[in-house]
Amino acid sequence: MTSSSAAALPKVKSRSFLQDATRRFFRNRLAIFGLSIVIFFLIIAIFAPLLAPFPYNKAFFDRARLFPFQHPEHPLGTDDLGRDYLSRLIFGARTSLSVALVVQGIALLIGIPLGASAGYFGGIIDFVISRIIDVMTAFPSLLFAILVSSVMSGGFRTVVVALSITSWIGIARLTRAQMLSLREQEYVNAARALGASQWRIIVQHILPNAISPLIIAVTLGIPATIFAEAGLSFLGFGVNDPIASWGKMVGVSSAYVRVYWHMALFPTLAIALTMLGFSFLGDGLQDALDPKQEE
Amino acid sequence: MLRFLLERMISLVFVLFAVSIIVFIIMHSVPGGPFDEDKGRLPPEAKANIMRKYGLDKPMYVQYFNYMKHAVRFDFGIPYQQPTTTVAALIKKTWFITMQVGLLTILVAFGLGITLGMLAARHQNTWIDNVVTFGSSLGVTVPNFVVALWLILFFTVARNWLPMGGWSGNNSSCLIGNYFCNDWILPVIAYAVAPMAIIARYTRSSIVNVKRADFVRTAKAKGLSERVVMNKHIFRNAQIPMVTVLGTEIPNLITGSIFIESIFRINGLGKYFVSSVSNRDYPMIMALFLLIAFLWGITYMLTDLAYALIDPRIKVGAKSS
Repeated sequence: MTSSSAAALPKVKSRSFLQDATRRFFRNRLAIFGLSIVIFFLIIAIFAPLLAPFPYNKAFFDRARLFPFQHPEHPLGTDDLGRDYLSRLIFGARTSLSVALVVQGIALLIGIPLGASAGYFGGIIDFVISRIIDVMTAFPSLLFAILVSSVMSGGFRTVVVALSITSWIGIARLTRAQMLSLREQEYVNAARALGASQWRIIVQHILPNAISPLIIAVTLGIPATIFAEAGLSFLGFGVNDPIASWGKMVGVSSAYVRVYWHMALFPTLAIALTMLGFSFLGDGLQDALDPKQEE
Repeated sequence: MLRFLLERMISLVFVLFAVSIIVFIIMHSVPGGPFDEDKGRLPPEAKANIMRKYGLDKPMYVQYFNYMKHAVRFDFGIPYQQPTTTVAALIKKTWFITMQVGLLTILVAFGLGITLGMLAARHQNTWIDNVVTFGSSLGVTVPNFVVALWLILFFTVARNWLPMGGWSGNNSSCLIGNYFCNDWILPVIAYAVAPMAIIARYTRSSIVNVKRADFVRTAKAKGLSERVVMNKHIFRNAQIPMVTVLGTEIPNLITGSIFIESIFRINGLGKYFVSSVSNRDYPMIMALFLLIAFLWGITYMLTDLAYALIDPRIKVGAKSS
């Protein structure tokens, strides 16, 4: 081969994995749709006090159960205690998203170390952690969350604890499986042969390669947590009263649904839209980050 | 085979034991009990009597061993909310209703789900496929209590076609005696949407995967009709992923949805679970958790056995790599 033939080859611009994934992601219309919904609700949650016309706990006792547009100050009507429904919905986004993000964060903090040590070290450590995972899997997670929050005082922290107890299991199992397959890879053997410490191998070589499934798992775990929080609040085991929660609004509305349809419609739409946003985003990330699974 | 069953049984017993300890500890982890003053004032002697009657005055570990001693003989005690019956009888009564909801839901979800999935797979990449695929991602995501309220808003509030709640209730009209009533329709649809969507999705993707296999091409080359290829070659091989869904969905469906039961005011297992937790009905809570953990364990085992029945290449108990 001469140098002239090498120069004649067409110049291929190389793309990194991340650039490739970004391209794939932005070509997926459903994923963009999901991302926009997520950004929309995140903005609402962050700037809730600025966006809401009234504080979430301000009750107008002479304006209970107004229909949408019945009063110029309440475009979406009011609830059974005369609180502005739009403001309650806006603050509900805050409750929903902060519970979901905190719970998923805790899931990562517990799940990754447990899963990683089970998968990497194996033996007795793996046995013990796997049995813990088995037992926790036998619990129906929602019923367990109801039981836990019923014995605690109720409130934001209760909901987070109740949902976190089972939320880490999926992450731990996933991390363990990733470890099991990655620790046999050649570059890990090479690192070991070069004398890298176990800690360094886990943090530097294995975890970065296990990260895309974890990102996907967390993104898809968020709608599940939003559902669980809404469900707990719906049944009356969630956040305490003046705090706005979509699930609680739905729960209250079911007693009034025959006449005051708006009380049921708006919070259910909010729950459905947020969950759809996150799951479309998660599916889009999955297709973008894991092209092997593409059909 | 025998070894596999034995191993699974031992691990199930271990899991049930662990579940009972964890539930017991959580239930008793806060001071107070089911007969506290806020549920109605009792003279101290009467309260002491009740506590003694139910053994609540004994130390924790004694209470636990007493309960388990009876539980292994399927005697789960007396529910505090309804002391005239037993936990086992109450569960039997409420589970019967939950089972009706669940079995109908399974029929609807699997019937429609498999049909839609096959339809989408046969017309892959056409508008039919797109509608089914998009519809099933909506159905998987939107929670059943949201679907339930939307159905009520449309069919009861806006149109007044169907009753809003109950299960063979007073103002429902039924086909045969107390069965197949019009108040069954909304709960079953609301409950079936999510599993139906999951089943449709799995059916579609497993058929699409099998369709590309060499043996399907061979069958077509032999001149077999489209229908024979679909039924004999594709569908049978696409069953494995479907059994997985069946295995994960059935225990959920037969133990009921708390949300569906509380929205539609159905007196089933899920609704009793909520009232047991609110009333700190220890024997009832414990029995319900043990029942559900047991059902899940058994279904996982049966799922593994079903794999081997459908696909002779799969050996039960063989270590998967």
